[in-house]
Amino acid sequence: MKETIKNTTLADRLLFLFLISLSIAGIFISREALSQESEVVIEIDGKPAYTLPLFADRQLSVAGPYGNTLIEIKGKKVRVKEAHCPNQICVKEGWISKGVIVCLPNKLVIIVGGSNKDQHPGVDAVTG
Amino acid sequence: MQLRDKQRIAILSAYALALHGFESLLPTPIPWLRLGLANIITLVALILYGFRTALMVTLIRVVLASIFIGTFLGPAFILSTGGGLASVFAMGLALKAFKNLFGTVGISLIGALFHNLAQLSLAYYLFIQRIEAILIISPFILLIGSLTGIANGIISDILIKNLLKKDREKIQNVVHS
Repeated sequence: MKETIKNTTLADRLLFLFLISLSIAGIFISREALSQESEVVIEIDGKPAYTLPLFADRQLSVAGPYGNTLIEIKGKKVRVKEAHCPNQICVKEGWISKGVIVCLPNKLVIIVGGSNKDQHPGVDAVTG
Repeated sequence: MQLRDKQRIAILSAYALALHGFESLLPTPIPWLRLGLANIITLVALILYGFRTALMVTLIRVVLASIFIGTFLGPAFILSTGGGLASVFAMGLALKAFKNLFGTVGISLIGALFHNLAQLSLAYYLFIQRIEAILIISPFILLIGSLTGIANGIISDILIKNLLKKDREKIQNVVHS
């Protein structure tokens, strides 16, 4: 085994290094590309009201039973900046880049995730 | 084709089939993670006995294994056949074109790479048709493929060296006696 490794040619080693670095770089690039596609979906009273891109910074005010809730998107993250609900759970949750912020009193749900416009459920593939 | 070639193909196919079957019994944490052990036999056949033998062994292995496992003509069979053929053609070409450049391990890496590329393209064109899904999964498949390709290449190299050594000893014994 040691002898075999020692006997590998320069081209063998370069090819191995190239493939490994290519695939590791690919993992990071595809993750980055995916986060570019992420969207913020804001649901009010169970219905999707706004769909916003995650990479564009902006602030948004949403009306609810307890007055206006201020939602802030900045640096690929989302938070509820200001809310007038009694428990303030949504504000305490802070910045998220993935997942859900829920404000029950205001009937507000903020979902952050990849865009799923053309998703169709079913088996992807099985290899054998 | 000579009788000796047919015997070689039969024996090598049996080995490849056994490894393929064994591998399909192994539980894998991720469905698309495969070791590609049968590629060891393809590589040994290619380097010791040439491209035609390797191609025959791959075809026999892929068809018979899918019949035994029960995936014949299903999606898994198409992926398996495409991957196997792409890898044997790539390895055959690489061995012919860059004989002095790559060793056994390099050829094995090339085989693993083309096996995965062929499977990913087939999966995209025939089954999944979502380029993001393929792009996300490709780097992981290429990474695992490179690691198993290296491991299979090392095993093949050791196997080839031992087989050649045994052959040489046999010849020497014949000469001495």
